Amino acid sequence: MYSSSRPDSSLLYRDFQCSQLVIFTGVNSGYMLGKGAKRKHEENEDELEGAAPAPASGEPADGPSKASYTLQRQTIFNMSLMKLYSQRAPADASLERRVLINNMLRRIQDELKQEGALRPLLLPASSPPEDPADEGFREAQPAFAVPAAPDSCLTPASLLEDDTSLFCTSPPPHGPPRPAPQAAKDSFSSALDEIEELCPATATTSPSDGTPSAPLSTEAQSKDKNGSQRPGGSASPAEERTSAADPAPPNGLDMSPSAPPSSSPSSSSGFLTDLALDDILFADIDTSMYDFDPCTSGAGAGPPKVAPVVTADDLVKTLSPYSGGSPSSGPSQPFKMDLAELDHIMEVLVGS
Amino acid sequence: MAGAGGGSNDVQWCFSQVKGAIDDDVAEADIISTVEFNHSGELLATGDKGGRVVIFQQEQETKGQPHSRGEYNVYSTFQSHEPEFDYLKSLEIEEKINKIRWLPQKNAAQFLLSTNDKTIKLWKISERDKRPEGYNLKEEDGRYRDPSTVTTLRVPVFRPMDLMVEASPRRVFANAHTYHINSISVNSDYETYLSADDLRINLWHLEITDRSFNIVDIKPANMEELTEVITAAEFHPNQCNTLVYSSSKGTIRLCDMRAAALCDKHSKLFEEPEDPSNRSFFSEIISSISDVKFSHNGRYMMTRDYLSVKIWDLNMENRPVETYQVHEYLRSKLCSLYENDCIFDKFECCWNGNDSVVMTGSYNNFFRMFERGHRRDLTLEASRESSKPRAVLKPRKVCAGGKRKKDEISVDSLDFNKKILHTAWHPQDNIIAVATTNNLYIFQDKMN
Repeated sequence: MYSSSRPDSSLLYRDFQCSQLVIFTGVNSGYMLGKGAKRKHEENEDELEGAAPAPASGEPADGPSKASYTLQRQTIFNMSLMKLYSQRAPADASLERRVLINNMLRRIQDELKQEGALRPLLLPASSPPEDPADEGFREAQPAFAVPAAPDSCLTPASLLEDDTSLFCTSPPPHGPPRPAPQAAKDSFSSALDEIEELCPATATTSPSDGTPSAPLSTEAQSKDKNGSQRPGGSASPAEERTSAADPAPPNGLDMSPSAPPSSSPSSSSGFLTDLALDDILFADIDTSMYDFDPCTSGAGAGPPKVAPVVTADDLVKTLSPYSGGSPSSGPSQPFKMDLAELDHIMEVLVGS
Repeated sequence: MAGAGGGSNDVQWCFSQVKGAIDDDVAEADIISTVEFNHSGELLATGDKGGRVVIFQQEQETKGQPHSRGEYNVYSTFQSHEPEFDYLKSLEIEEKINKIRWLPQKNAAQFLLSTNDKTIKLWKISERDKRPEGYNLKEEDGRYRDPSTVTTLRVPVFRPMDLMVEASPRRVFANAHTYHINSISVNSDYETYLSADDLRINLWHLEITDRSFNIVDIKPANMEELTEVITAAEFHPNQCNTLVYSSSKGTIRLCDMRAAALCDKHSKLFEEPEDPSNRSFFSEIISSISDVKFSHNGRYMMTRDYLSVKIWDLNMENRPVETYQVHEYLRSKLCSLYENDCIFDKFECCWNGNDSVVMTGSYNNFFRMFERGHRRDLTLEASRESSKPRAVLKPRKVCAGGKRKKDEISVDSLDFNKKILHTAWHPQDNIIAVATTNNLYIFQDKMN
C-alpha cells in the first residue's frame, strides 16, 4: 500500500459487469472500500446506457460512457504511477508486481497514443523504484546506456512544433518509451542523463522562465543526491542510475528555482516524466491536484473536457508549489490538469 | 475421494485443530508463508515470515478414539533462514520461507528443502531416543575423569531417553539466484531438484552445492523489454525429464530436458485465449498464474490465477479441460482490488490424494473445494468461531448482488485482510491444513 495522505480521494470506476457505478473512498484499508457509497441509479443512467463493456482497446461510442471510460483509465493510470513511484521498502518490491503495473501503464499509454491520433503522450517510463536487487538493471547499464543516441528518448523538435493540441508528441525513434520494470535503466532516466549531457553543450532554447525547468534540474539533482554518484551535470551512462522513481522523495526534491535551466526543447520527454512524477509527489503536498471528484467535475457536468484549456497562468500557479509556495490553483477540475498541464508545459518549453 | 469414496459434498468437514496465537494482533514473524505435508502425511511442515519451520507430527491413532484420526502435535521447530544483508546492493534479504518441499523418506531421518528468496537449504530431521551411558573417561554429566582414577573398564550401553528431534542443515545451496526464488520442486529421480526465480530456473543435484545448471532463462537482453516473469515451476511427478513453469501472462510452458540443455524453447505451451466479453484493464493481471501443480497421476496440471482454478490435460494445449470460478463476484471489484494491491495476492492450490477434488483459498478466511467428477463446489471458512472440536463446518455463501439471503455474506463485508493463500491436502486421507494469516487450521472429514 502506498503512503498517500490524500484525504478521501474518490475513485470512480466503471463496473463492467453489473451496470452499477460505485464510488469508493478510502485507500489504505484492507476492507473493500468500506465507505463506499453507491450513486443513485438516476444519476448514472446517462453514463451507463449504451456504454460498451470493458473496451480495452476500443472506445465507447457516446460521450458520457467514453468519459467514464476515460476517467477510469486515467484513474488506473494515476494509481499505477503511484504504485510504482511511492516509497516502498525494497523488500516489498516484487518484480512480478512491477512488471504487471508497468505493462498496465504501457497499455494505457498505447491507447492514449492511438486515441491521440498518432500523437502519443510521452508518459514517464514508468520506472518503479530502484530495486538494486535487480541485476538486470545493472547489467543493462553498460550495455545500453552508451549506445543510446543522445536524442533517442527525446522528442524530435520538429514533432513538437507540429503539435498544437492536447497531447505531446514524442515517439522515440525506437518506438514508444519502454519503461523498465527494473529500476533505473528506463527512458526517463536515460532521457534525463541525455539532457544533462546536452546541458553544457547546447545553448538552451528553453524559455527564460526558469520555473518550469526547475523541476527537471532539481529532479536531476535529487537523482544525483540519491546516490547515483554521477558527477554533476554529466551523465555517465555506465554508472548506476537511480530511477527517478527511486522516489525522489519529496524531501529530496530540492525545488530551488534558481537551478539553472538545463532543459532543451528536446528534453520534453524527461520533463514530462518529471512532471508526471511531480504530480504524484505533490499529491502529498497539494492533494487538490489529485482530488478528482467525479461528482463535481465529471459526470454531472456532462462530458468532461478531455482537452480543456489551461492558461499559462494556471500552469505557473500550479508550479508554484514547487518553490514551496502555497498551492494557488484550486481544486477546480483538478484531474483535467494532468494531461493538459503536461501539454502546455511542453509548449512553454518549446517556446511555441 | 481417498478412502471415503464419495464426493466432497458427501464428505463433511469437521474442525480438528488450530495452531498458532489466538489474539488478533498478528506478529509479522508469525505470518505463515508455506504449508506442506510430507509424502506419508505423517508430518506437516509450515514456514513463516520469521524464517522458522515448524513440523507437526500426527499421533498414532489410539485405540481410545477410533473415530478420529490422530492429532498433529509439534514435532520440531527450528530457525531455517536468518535475515541477511546484501552489502553490495544495500538490501536486506528476507528470511521468509517461501517454500518447503519434503524429500521421500529413505531412512530413519526426514529431509526437507526450505527456501527463502535467495538460498535453499536441505534440512535433516532426525530423532534421538537413546543415549550412551557408562563412559570410562567421562562422568555422566560430561566432566572428564582423571585417568588415574579409572580402575575398571566397562562398555557404554544405550539407554532410552526422552525423544529429542534434531534438525540440522545438511546442504546450503546459495548464490545461484539473482531474483527472488518463488518455487522449488524435487524431481522424481530423487537426486535433483529445481529452483525457480522470476527469470530463471536452475537445476541442482542434492549432493552438490557449489554448482547448479541453468535450464530456463527468460531474461531479455534489454531489461526494458521485460514484460513477463516466471511465477511458479514444478517437476512432473513421474517423468524426471519434464517440468512446467507458469508466467505472469497466464501461460504455462512444459519443457523436456532431453530436448536441449537450455529449455528456453518450450515443448508445449498452454494458453487459453482471452474471453473478449471479460476484457478489462486488469485482464493481464488477473491472468497471472500464482501456482501450478501436477496431479498425482501426472496426467493433469492445475493452475491458479486470481479469479479461477483451471485444470489442464497435458495433451491439450489450447484450453483447460476444467475451469472453476473461485470468487467471480470479485470481477466487478478489480479496480479497488488493484488499488489496495489485493489483486497481486498469490493464492496456492492443491489436489487431494486421488485427484478427484481440488482446493484453493480466498478472502475472508474462506477456502473453496471443487469436486471434479460431480462438478460440485464448496465454500468453507477457517475461523475461531467454528473451532469446536469435531464441529462440522457449515458451507458458506457469498452474495454477489441483489437480495442477500440469510447466512449469506455480501461482497462488501468481506475482509480482504483475511486471506487464505496456503492450503495442503494429506496425500492419502481427507485431512486438510489451511493457513490463515498466522494460524494453521486442520480439518478432517467426519468419520462415522
